Amino acid sequence: MSLDPASLPRRAFLYRELQALGATFAPVNGMAAAISLRDGAEAEQAQARSMAIADLTPLRRGGYKGWTALDWLRGQGVAIGENNTTVDQPDGSRVARLADSEALILGDLEGGSALLDRVEGTWSLESAEGAYPVPRPETNAWCAITGQHAATMLAKMCGVDLRPKAFANGAVAQTSVARMSAIVIRRDLGRTLAYDMIADSAAAAYLWRCLIDAMGEFDGAPVGLAAVRALAAEAA
Amino acid sequence: MKILTCPLNGPRNISEFVWGGEVKIHPPLDCTDEEWAAYAALENNTAGVVREWWYHVPTAYWIIAERDTVKDVILRTYPARELFKDRVDYDAPAAPAAGDTPRETP
Repeated sequence: MSLDPASLPRRAFLYRELQALGATFAPVNGMAAAISLRDGAEAEQAQARSMAIADLTPLRRGGYKGWTALDWLRGQGVAIGENNTTVDQPDGSRVARLADSEALILGDLEGGSALLDRVEGTWSLESAEGAYPVPRPETNAWCAITGQHAATMLAKMCGVDLRPKAFANGAVAQTSVARMSAIVIRRDLGRTLAYDMIADSAAAAYLWRCLIDAMGEFDGAPVGLAAVRALAAEAA
Repeated sequence: MKILTCPLNGPRNISEFVWGGEVKIHPPLDCTDEEWAAYAALENNTAGVVREWWYHVPTAYWIIAERDTVKDVILRTYPARELFKDRVDYDAPAAPAAGDTPRETP
């Protein structure tokens, strides 16, 4: 093991589960990220193309809420789409509009977000009246559900039709998954069907177990962040 | 499964929502204690078409639904801002609470 995940300033919500899987960790934003599990890189990528889950919790995320939030973000050069859609930003971040008064900002797969760095550096209570930050690093866990069986597996846990023909790349569903409130965003990785799931960090271990249990019949298994990065780098 | 259509999120299992009580007309801010207690605590419990608050839990979003309690059907849902345009100014107790008085629905 490359790094003791408990030695970092921020405790990863799933580090015991990932440790038990033999994860190799690296620090991302002060938290241990499971870069790879015990399988080799090729095997993990093949797993991710078929059916897999990966913990993305250490990656950068945030957002703004309030009656002026969307206008304030647009004033900072942020492109925002319709409700429950996501817009890719030039720096690799993505912005999901959750309501007329809220946007969620997701950073890139390396753990950065130049956009979040910029808007968080600009924001102040006085200069952005009616737009308030929604800090999500500690309150939310984040995982990727990847592979050709992802939509079929999610149909066991979620009432919204997430099949590719009904749920476009970039679409957002704010719904209930395994009886927990969650934000589900389709975000294909290169050619591979994939979804982001963001849910309460207090339920991270519960959802992790539920999802691994549900993907069992599709031979699904956890993979490391490296496999997600590798698939994302492939041409769509 | 009963479906309730959220104005923000579309048709969803009604288990994603929490009932929030009847939509009631805010009494004038200089009302009597009895009028305020009735507003805060009493429900009409109408058999027929009612207008109710519903809360979509995953998005923390309050909406209004019109529902027929006799036929057990949901007639219409819409954002609360269709009825409530302005904030109530509680610093002006003598003024009528016009901002929180629902307009008649079309």
